Amino acid sequence: MTPLEILTAAMTGSPAPRIPVFCNLPDHGARELGMPAKQYFSKGEYVADAQLRMRRRYGYDNIWSLHYVGKEAELLGCREILFADDGVPNVADFVIKNLDDIAKLEIPADITQQPAWQPVSDSLQILQSEVGATHPICTYITASTTLPAILMGMDKWMELFLLGPFDVRDELLRKCSDFCQQEIAALRALGTNVLIYSTPFGSPYFVSRKQIEQIVMPWMRRDLLPGGSEGVVYYCGMAPFNDVIDLVFDELHIKAHHISPLADIAEAKRLIGNRGLTCGVIDDIKMIHWSAEQTRAEVQRIVEIGKTGGHFLFGNGVMPMAVPEANIQAMVAAAFEYGRLA
Amino acid sequence: MLDAYIQSYNQAVFETDKQAALDVVNQALSDGFSPEDIVFKLVIPAVELMMTLIEKDPDANLAQHFMTAQIAADVTEKMLEKFSKPPEMIGRVVIGAAYGDLHSLGKRIVSGCLKSLMVDVVDLGTNVSAEKFVDTAMTENAQVIAVSAMMVHTATSEKGSLGVRALLQERGLEQQIKLAVGGAPYRFDPELYIQVGADAWAPDGVTAAKVIVDLIREVKP
Repeated sequence: MTPLEILTAAMTGSPAPRIPVFCNLPDHGARELGMPAKQYFSKGEYVADAQLRMRRRYGYDNIWSLHYVGKEAELLGCREILFADDGVPNVADFVIKNLDDIAKLEIPADITQQPAWQPVSDSLQILQSEVGATHPICTYITASTTLPAILMGMDKWMELFLLGPFDVRDELLRKCSDFCQQEIAALRALGTNVLIYSTPFGSPYFVSRKQIEQIVMPWMRRDLLPGGSEGVVYYCGMAPFNDVIDLVFDELHIKAHHISPLADIAEAKRLIGNRGLTCGVIDDIKMIHWSAEQTRAEVQRIVEIGKTGGHFLFGNGVMPMAVPEANIQAMVAAAFEYGRLA
Repeated sequence: MLDAYIQSYNQAVFETDKQAALDVVNQALSDGFSPEDIVFKLVIPAVELMMTLIEKDPDANLAQHFMTAQIAADVTEKMLEKFSKPPEMIGRVVIGAAYGDLHSLGKRIVSGCLKSLMVDVVDLGTNVSAEKFVDTAMTENAQVIAVSAMMVHTATSEKGSLGVRALLQERGLEQQIKLAVGGAPYRFDPELYIQVGADAWAPDGVTAAKVIVDLIREVKP
């Protein structure tokens, strides 16, 4: 079976020789090609080349097309990204500097015509032609209720979200949701089949369940309305969300759930059951200081909890660049070994 | 004496209802309590109670932490203007986001709580070098440097907390100035604070204020 078929089997509960094994190495590509991060992210060819090389070397199932989260801010007018050669790029220029800027914020009529989109499009086209027929292609989308955090800063957004003015907040959310709808459609058109829908405000770690139900959920429904929830993975930026799994099934019909390493994976598996896909995620920050043996043991623990009854995928978070290569190899090898199905 | 107010105030904060919390404060004022009473007998006990509640209930959400700090800082600032004499501050902290880190929510929560607890806060903003942290702590006579980092590479970089620790060591300041850290990576690896040379860490902004107050008291009994 191809990795794509193995993923489909895990989603549907069909027989398969093993669980899907995913690995996300978005920031490792520059080092793979021996170039500074800024140069690496400047061309889609570089991103695709590095991601294909790393997938071949480690052997995991998916291919990851994310450039960096701040790319979405660039598509909306951000003029400066702070690149780091040892980690994640940061948004260094907030598009919304004061509340008056929200009225001025314009969502491009077609984001695919923006210069910042070109590397995304280029990399996805290469990935699609190289491995699209056999491997799942993952992309990343920020939900409308979280996107403002990279447009104005998390503290300013939290203040506006909680304290208003609420008409201004909702105007911003409407614009962000319009952008989100466009981005999902554009990524699907380029052949992506796994959409990591990043929605930290959809986690009870960020806001209360009542706020999720009353404020966040309607916007998430709107984000996903045009194209539906097929291939969408509910991801709360590594925050736990077991308490809203049922709500996500009922309201958003999202079947794949990226479970936080801080959450109870056994409980998540029970809650999701055969309705969808539980993505068991290793705490890859601890992998910085773990030995290969410790890494293997943790993979074994997660996989043994999750794989019974199928409907399970093993993966990681964002894999800090400080994680030793031996631990990444140990993680992937252990996931294949312990993830065999009878 | 102010127990009923504290309860109502914290209920409002827990529901992230700022107006309801301010209504409690205004009610206490119109019932004859002084601005000093409001801060020392209502806001500070309320923040301390919130710290205890959050310690017992790690599932308290970020919005509640944010509102705890935001409301307490706002009320304290307004009341301080009305104090008959300036209050005695318990100490001073220099706070900022680590070099290369542009996230500011965490330190804003910590700063808000600290201000309401009568701690002077020198906020250096984001993307702060190790030298600036230590130089400012020296010139401001601060007892604590608090470094926030929301990304693994800014938490573990030689230019972040490790750089601050190296400078404190080099300048013989380790007994006078303590180093606290916080931010998402530390939640995922509770041993990480040791690796980056910190004296203490906290899993959230409200608890961080308590940790920092404890460190101030270690240095300045």
